Amino acid sequence: MTRGNPTETGATAASRTFTVTNKYGIHARPAALFVKTCSQFQSEILVEKDGAVVSGKSIMGLLTLEGHHGAQLRISANGPDAAEAMEALGTIFENKFYED
Amino acid sequence: MSLTVRDFYEAGRESLSLELIRGEKQLDRIIPEAALNRPGLALAGFLQYVANKRVQVLGLAELTYLKSLKAAERRERLTGFFEKHIPALVVTRNRLVPKELLLISEAFHVPVLRTPMITMDFVNRGTLLLEDLTSPRMMAQGTTVDVMGIGVMLEGEPGIGKSETAMALVRRGHSLVADDTTVLQRDSTGDIVASAVDVTQFHMEIRGLGIIHVPSLFGVASMRLRMKLDMVVCLHHQRSMEDVDRTGLAPQSRDILGVSVPVLNLPVGPGRDISLIIEVAAMNQKLKFLGHDAAKELDERLIKTLLRKATR
Repeated sequence: MTRGNPTETGATAASRTFTVTNKYGIHARPAALFVKTCSQFQSEILVEKDGAVVSGKSIMGLLTLEGHHGAQLRISANGPDAAEAMEALGTIFENKFYED
Repeated sequence: MSLTVRDFYEAGRESLSLELIRGEKQLDRIIPEAALNRPGLALAGFLQYVANKRVQVLGLAELTYLKSLKAAERRERLTGFFEKHIPALVVTRNRLVPKELLLISEAFHVPVLRTPMITMDFVNRGTLLLEDLTSPRMMAQGTTVDVMGIGVMLEGEPGIGKSETAMALVRRGHSLVADDTTVLQRDSTGDIVASAVDVTQFHMEIRGLGIIHVPSLFGVASMRLRMKLDMVVCLHHQRSMEDVDRTGLAPQSRDILGVSVPVLNLPVGPGRDISLIIEVAAMNQKLKFLGHDAAKELDERLIKTLLRKATR
């Protein structure tokens, strides 16, 4: 797939590893928050744990990862708003999905 | 709105076979308490407490008792009873109404009605009718369908496809209760009951098609006259629904006539078969009523797994 000039479309890629720090891990409610956050961005967002990769915009996908407390998730975003998406996801991880 | 004797008479003309014997001009008298009373004690002379705000029923026992009295005493007892400002009087079993009673009721401006029913049946059905006449009700902008025994009212802005969705549900074998405008009523058991407005009942308006008569096209099984309302499904344009509950863990509800009714917000968009989704939503609601909440159960299982892994 050909992308436009990065300076025109602003298409970028970003990736970062996050640690799950809320007590219950990524169960349904945090997964819903994660998906809702990702869905605000155009970028494709992938979440990887122990070799399994799922879309950040799929609740059922995220649940299969079993992101327990202490688990490491590698998140990559690809698209015009990748950096912003990563920043927004960083905020919800920092705030422990507003649980605890 | 207060209930008048006229309301009761008109509603009971057919269902209770009520006929008006006296007091056509007094039909606007108000029935302060929507209930019936058999005034045996009052006629026997005990006037310290009389349920005088209710419609009074004279059955065989009361009439036979009055007959057993001497004329003067009968007049005196009846006068004492009528002085309590009763709203109306019903004689059952098509009994001849005693002359004194007619005269006194005229003097006190109290309408007298009569029914061929036996007293017990009249009291049972009359009480239900009075309850029905006074139960809280409202008109709602919504299309109501009976989906496999679950009463679903579809809401949403005009043009979003409420009627089209209802038509698809009817085509799949479900029954229409009301299109576009639903009358909601709270019955004495605290259920909300949905029905159609009389004039438009059995009809539907589909854009581009006009008005159709549902039972002619889909058979009598496609209509249902009254249905308990179990849930409201609110249709929204997908783009205006960033906030939709994706897990079903945050069920919503709304107060309708003092009763909390589950509400489901459903985004409408390309590739989504709304009638199918509503069928599944109705079944899922049924499952919840039976005590199974799939979203909650999965979440609890998940949390258990996650906690086990976290402490390892």
